[in-house]
Amino acid sequence: MLTVKNLKKSFGGLQALKGVDIALPDQSILGVIGMNGSGKTTLLNCVNGIYVPDEGEIILDGVNLVGLPVHKIAGIGVGRTFQVPRVFQHLTLLENLDVAQVASQAGSDERYALAEFWLKKVELFRLRHNYAEELSGGQQKLLELARIMVAKPRVILLDEPFAGVNPELAQMLIGIIRDIPKKHNCAVILVSHDLTSIYQLSNHIIVMNEGVILTQGDAATVKSDPAVIEVYLGA
Amino acid sequence: MTSLIFQGVLNGLILGSIYGLIGVGLNIIYGVLRVVNFAHGEFLVIGAYFAWVLLQYLGINPFIALPISFLIFFGVGYVMYFFLVPRMSKSDDPETSSLLLMFGVSISLSATLLLLFSADARTLNFAIEPVFFSFGNIILPTIRLVALLISLLLVCVLAYFLYRTQVGKALRAIIMNKDAVSIVGINAERLSGVAFGLGIGLAAATGVIVAMVFPSFSPFMGNDYTLIGFVVIVLGGLGHPIGALIGALLYGVTEQVAVVYFNSSIATILGFSLMIAMIFIRPSGLLGQRQLH
Repeated sequence: MLTVKNLKKSFGGLQALKGVDIALPDQSILGVIGMNGSGKTTLLNCVNGIYVPDEGEIILDGVNLVGLPVHKIAGIGVGRTFQVPRVFQHLTLLENLDVAQVASQAGSDERYALAEFWLKKVELFRLRHNYAEELSGGQQKLLELARIMVAKPRVILLDEPFAGVNPELAQMLIGIIRDIPKKHNCAVILVSHDLTSIYQLSNHIIVMNEGVILTQGDAATVKSDPAVIEVYLGA
Repeated sequence: MTSLIFQGVLNGLILGSIYGLIGVGLNIIYGVLRVVNFAHGEFLVIGAYFAWVLLQYLGINPFIALPISFLIFFGVGYVMYFFLVPRMSKSDDPETSSLLLMFGVSISLSATLLLLFSADARTLNFAIEPVFFSFGNIILPTIRLVALLISLLLVCVLAYFLYRTQVGKALRAIIMNKDAVSIVGINAERLSGVAFGLGIGLAAATGVIVAMVFPSFSPFMGNDYTLIGFVVIVLGGLGHPIGALIGALLYGVTEQVAVVYFNSSIATILGFSLMIAMIFIRPSGLLGQRQLH
């Protein structure tokens, strides 16, 4: 269970988060939508330690993550992908996934087996000896997802996973993300501008606007909320 | 003439392999930390003096001094990293700051060596039998052949570490993207310390080999080796550890074959011309396409 309480973050005079509260149950998907600059990515950056919040708590399974360095938060079980994938370009796909298991106590056979499992899952197995730089942008997103999953995270933060991905890969990605919570005992925070995917995948959705949660609920509630229609959909 | 050229090539490979070790260490430090280690040559000279002290006062064979120097100076480098580098990385221009800082370290170290050992050149009184090894018309000091083997062995061990072990892969990964390394749960600071320690340890170990191969060494030699280190990493590819070895072999062979035809001044000019040509033709170096950052 991930709980975020009264999270605040400012950059100079700009208040990016003005007191955000989130409760993310195990094995669930939380969709986060909002206009550009609404604080979605800042929220993710606070949860995985890239930013230290000014106020508030981020508690994963009883551990307060605030103030911990990024690598420790990752070690506790928070995985993260980015809008522009940050794969290790000049390592092979297998090496990318092996490096992500440095904290694991497993031997190399076990590590490689897990890496191969995830490469098969994201349909990149045949390219396992290729360098990551040889992949398309969409394939790099799949690799990045596989890379966080080999670390067996408790929560994964996916920042715009469908941006710049062709429809075929996006469908595959949707299928994989849908399976992750139940099959791998992992909760997901999914930030995306792709409303269709958010509505398809999320158990719960929050709509952010200017650093606060404008509204929240299931897809039907969010879709019909007049404030969301006005602020987010512009209709 | 053919045998002279062949001898020149062999000498070039031997010197190139030693230069390669200098370049590999320098490149690991630059690749991972973006630190321009201007004091690299001084650590090499310290390694040479370390071997001299161990032999002179404790009777320890340089072949044993070599791993000892690596381990001790790995530790020194690891600790030094935490004193020097994190503060530099807070600067607006960390690469220039690192160059200036390490230049200061270089001057301090060579002055300390001067204070401790005076300006007199020292020699490692050490030989292995037979002193010379001959293949037909080609005669080479046996110690140089042994140095070649040790250098190649060290490079192979290092290549195995970097390309086959998980920590080595993580080191290569940090060259490519330091932030992403933290995100997958690796302590990037500790790994950076390992990289700095590895570079300094390699420099000291190379110093032991230099002391065995060359007739003498003095506190003022550090800058020459640093300069050679920079030439070979420009040739091989900045930030690419194995590229440095290839650049070094190319530089060593060019220099030594040129000595056969011309003289040592022309050989030096040719060696540096090679670097200038590389910057014009292929600025990323020989292995630039496979660069690790």
